[in-house]
Amino acid sequence: MDVLLENLKLFLSAIGGFIAPLALFHMAWSTLLGIVIGALPGLTATMGVALITTLTYKLPPDLAILVLICVYVGAIYGGSRTAILINIPGTPANAATTLDGFPLAKQGLAGRAMGVATSGSVLGSIIGMFFLATLAPLLGNYALKFQSYEFFWLAIFGIVISGHLTALDDPIKGWIAGFLGLLSAMVGQEGIHAYDRFTYGTTELMGGFALIPAMVGAFGLAEVLSVMKNPQAEMAKNPQDSVIPKLEDITKYWRTIVRSGLIGTVIGIIPGVGEDIGAWVSYAAARRKSKEREKFGKGSVEGLMAAETGNNAVVPGAIIPVLTLAIPGSAPAAVLLAAMFIHGIRPGPMIMVEAPFFVYQVVAMVFFATIAILIYGIALTKPLLKVLAIPRTRLMPVVFVLCVIGSYAITSRLFDIWVMVGFGVFGFILREMKYPMAPLVLGIILGDLLDKNLRRGLVLTDGDITPFFTRPICLVLWLITFISILMTIEPARRGLQRVFRAVWPERKPG
Amino acid sequence: MAIKAVRPSFFIYWDADERRFSGFNQTKNAFRLYPRLSTQICVPFFCFFYVPRGVGTGFMGMKKADYLTGLALILLSIYVLVESWRMPRLEHLQVHPLSIPGIVPAFLAVVLLIFGLILVARSVKAGGHRLGWTRENTKKIFSEPGIQRLQLTAVLTIGYAGILVGRIPYWLATAVFIFVFILVFEWRSGMPAKERSRIGVVAAILAVIVTTAVSYTFERLFLVTLP
Repeated sequence: MDVLLENLKLFLSAIGGFIAPLALFHMAWSTLLGIVIGALPGLTATMGVALITTLTYKLPPDLAILVLICVYVGAIYGGSRTAILINIPGTPANAATTLDGFPLAKQGLAGRAMGVATSGSVLGSIIGMFFLATLAPLLGNYALKFQSYEFFWLAIFGIVISGHLTALDDPIKGWIAGFLGLLSAMVGQEGIHAYDRFTYGTTELMGGFALIPAMVGAFGLAEVLSVMKNPQAEMAKNPQDSVIPKLEDITKYWRTIVRSGLIGTVIGIIPGVGEDIGAWVSYAAARRKSKEREKFGKGSVEGLMAAETGNNAVVPGAIIPVLTLAIPGSAPAAVLLAAMFIHGIRPGPMIMVEAPFFVYQVVAMVFFATIAILIYGIALTKPLLKVLAIPRTRLMPVVFVLCVIGSYAITSRLFDIWVMVGFGVFGFILREMKYPMAPLVLGIILGDLLDKNLRRGLVLTDGDITPFFTRPICLVLWLITFISILMTIEPARRGLQRVFRAVWPERKPG
Repeated sequence: MAIKAVRPSFFIYWDADERRFSGFNQTKNAFRLYPRLSTQICVPFFCFFYVPRGVGTGFMGMKKADYLTGLALILLSIYVLVESWRMPRLEHLQVHPLSIPGIVPAFLAVVLLIFGLILVARSVKAGGHRLGWTRENTKKIFSEPGIQRLQLTAVLTIGYAGILVGRIPYWLATAVFIFVFILVFEWRSGMPAKERSRIGVVAAILAVIVTTAVSYTFERLFLVTLP
């Protein structure tokens, strides 16, 4: 109880710290920008956060992170507008929103659908925020026990699970993307003996590929290329009915909201598995539990609520591992992690020791972003829809100009622009062949962690690999990893199912 | 059963659906699949692996791409393996042999090699090795409007970022890029001259505004020396 009160006190003082004209001003413009970025098809949350990172170099660290979190939350919410009105998810996170949002709009209930999306997003954020505030300190303290062995498995676990969940039809593609990411992190000077790997004498490659240019490429240029390749989207129609959320929708579906919030948070915590998966899993769970299952896909308020609660709950969830393990829970969170490093904040297991207040500041940032989307969702929805009328032939060149200058501005090297172009083309080709991008990015981040900790662990044990398998946390991590791989191989899956059925006999439905 | 032939093969695999071993080999122009090991002995000079049940059936659309990606992955991982092998072992520093720089890249390369082999095997099973590259097919692909827009976008973006920026003043490169991009995609053949000039004016205004805003923000506010 004391701990809770102490947490609450820290949270309140963090909130108090941001109630200042300058902070409120930054909050206002960045959330609005986030919503616009999210609403425009072809501008994703990841790309938005990556591009805005370059605009926040000169801000003090807490304001910079505040701006980025507001953009992040705003973009995930803003994507629902496009999903509902024109059946195109504004960001990948809103793909599940189209299933019921668009049918509602066709029935003339676009305003109500947007109200449901607003309330779902706000409540999802709040549930996720609650767990961010309570779980992050716990996990932070727990992570202090992690040694090289655990970090090695955490890297492998992250890649395998993220690869599996982001490419459910064909997990091997997710894993390939993840391992390609890990491999590209091998370029540059390694951290133990300072040997230059794969640099071939170029000084630019000694530091490896910088994360922000790589991400701006993989999510910016790659997106520009696919938007221009795909057929033009239809124009938006304005909603006629009221966009103010109804209390009745919330009270009626509170179970769905809580369930989706929990699912979203958990999906967020899993490394590299982001908002899109959070929304899909919440949607599927809501459909399975629903009493009005037949309405799903034809304009179910419950389905829409589940999808929008699920994706916004991922945001705070994804920040939990960023803060406590320095491992991103989603692709935009990866940029957030990079931005924290740029601003001299060192997230990781030591954060609860070195800067516990920062954790609560982040919670407060999510809180303000949530308030802001609620206000914009009620007051500004109709004028905001005007941005949807911007043709892509005018938007995309401007976006690409920002991609170029954003990659360049961090270190003022032309080389970073080429890294951006390289990862953009490479990322586009992979994406066209249905390889997910999130494991690739996760791999770039986790490569160094894997490299150092595998070698360090092996040296510590003098080549003995048993601690990698017998330490309790390691045991859990590698078991989940291996089961996840085995489940994709048909004979092994059947064998495993037989084992599980022997242990837990299946109950016959009702 | 009499043995009919002894054949060299790149890969030999156990096909769980068909419950038999198969082998295959690709030479310069032809791809040969050796279906029955009971009547043919295949001599593997590359690898053996296992194709799980059901794999290679649900991926028909991507089979050609998967085949090529698989081959590329195999080449990449062999290259990384060789490079890792050639990295110094730092014996003179008496470092622990398991902490040498090449060990993790080699590990990753082995994993990617396995993935590459699986991709190749299952795409071959689905018939993806028959690439069917003819002049007509290639022409057909490149005449799709989506692919044409993609080519134009790629040329414009890569030309701007890779060639123009850094050689000519930044503001000039950026303004030209935006102006040309809009004209290329918005001008249609048979458009009246009035409409064309209207688009030209819009493009020019947008180019000037964006260039000024970006240059000013980064150069004056963020103190970045522009390329």
